[in-house]
Amino acid sequence: MKSRKMLAFWCIVLGIIVFSTVFSGNLAPYEPNDMNLDEVYLSPGDGHLLGTDHLGRDVFSRLLGGGKVTLTVATVSVLLSLVLGVLYGGFSGYVGGIVDTALMRLLEVFITIPSLIIILSFQAFMQGGMWSMALIIGVTGWLSTARIVRSEFIRLKEAEFVQMAKMFGTPIWKIIISHLLKNSVPAIFVVTLFNFANAIFIEVSLSFLGIGVPPAIPSWGNMLYYAQNDILIGAWWIGLYPGILIFITILAINFIGEALKDPERRRFSA
Amino acid sequence: MLKVNQLSIEINGKRIVDGSSFFVPRGRITSIIGESGSGKSMTISALLNILPAGSKAAGQAFFDNKDLLAISNKEMSAIRGSQIFTVFQDALNSFNPSVKMGKQLYEFSGRRIRHSVAEFHLKMDDILNDLGLSKAIMEQYPFELSGGMLQRCMIACALYVRPRLLIADEPTSALDTLLQKEFIELLKGLNEKQGTTILLITHDLDIVAEVADKMVIMHKGKVVEVGNVAEVFERPKNAYTKRLLESRF
Repeated sequence: MKSRKMLAFWCIVLGIIVFSTVFSGNLAPYEPNDMNLDEVYLSPGDGHLLGTDHLGRDVFSRLLGGGKVTLTVATVSVLLSLVLGVLYGGFSGYVGGIVDTALMRLLEVFITIPSLIIILSFQAFMQGGMWSMALIIGVTGWLSTARIVRSEFIRLKEAEFVQMAKMFGTPIWKIIISHLLKNSVPAIFVVTLFNFANAIFIEVSLSFLGIGVPPAIPSWGNMLYYAQNDILIGAWWIGLYPGILIFITILAINFIGEALKDPERRRFSA
Repeated sequence: MLKVNQLSIEINGKRIVDGSSFFVPRGRITSIIGESGSGKSMTISALLNILPAGSKAAGQAFFDNKDLLAISNKEMSAIRGSQIFTVFQDALNSFNPSVKMGKQLYEFSGRRIRHSVAEFHLKMDDILNDLGLSKAIMEQYPFELSGGMLQRCMIACALYVRPRLLIADEPTSALDTLLQKEFIELLKGLNEKQGTTILLITHDLDIVAEVADKMVIMHKGKVVEVGNVAEVFERPKNAYTKRLLESRF
């Protein structure tokens, strides 16, 4: 029961963040890139809820607009890695045997290469923007999904109801979709949530290093990047709020994933 | 109906079933009885061509003059589709946990004999009613039903398909005594009303005494005795059969 309430609480928190960033166009009091050089470094208070930055841009509006960019990059990359992971893992697990062994060894080779380094070099060479970043995070992030899908498929394909369906002549595609994939959804969902948190973290890290989202587009990561200098002159609010928001978002996703991981929620365990 | 001749099964070079022969007469209930690991279930797997990987079956099994061990996969699926129906030990694991019963029952019955969904609902509702199941289960998931209800659902499919041979692999092991009795009555009814030939795998002598006409006793992968139930109970020939009969309560 306690974990249920926790789950509900963190879902609401994440829901508010997602909702307010998606509708940032309507909710934000200013345009995220509107400059006003008469009002630079205003501390949080009247007019500017969370203050302004070195160009007089409203921090609150930038926070909402930046969240939209960060969450979009994370979502797109996660969907991409989900598709890649399900295809690779599903194929490997379903076919089994030597193919499975070969594919898994290959996957282990990929896992040994830290993905941040690949993404870093890709972004540096390609001078990439927002979409190329989503692409590269997605292409490097499917490994854990593939592993989970593979193990679920191996577990399920031996299950009696799958054997039975096979015996009764159920078509292969139907077995894969409605027997194997459908029963792997809980596990896939959880690993995808953790991937999502990870994708946010990667976007933030890259933008913070200055090679992620281009400076013209606000994101939580590049807000932190520009806030570095401002902290030296005491403008703490420019860096603090994006930091808190990143922290809460990743925390919320992790708590939700942790609650859903609970094996009691599984319908089928063999 | 089904004539098994010198069936041997090897798994990874180890002999599980050794030269077993028996005969299942049409329209009767034949029971294979034996302790766990005696090769009963493996025999069935071999007949249905669902042996685990790495195993080999030799010998013959004639089902209407067709050798089940030699026919092509296509022919096999045709036979498994409409002529042989199998009920397994654990009904809960026989159903996909994330699909509603109605859809699955259709997969197991109506679709196999190419009936439309509307036809299926028309016919299945009556069958479920006869078995004391409400129509509401069609909208439920397998884990919302009890083991006994699920086993009855399986029988409902058998009633629908009207197979010529019903193979039940320890169908009552997961049920309590009352439900066991009920289930056995259902099998009997199926045999009497539709004339379905039944091959019942069990380790419960009481069930054999109750329903079966013929029995096949297996021990350590070998068929040790075959005969009419009444005769075997009266005058067991094999030493193992004698011990088995003495062990009854």
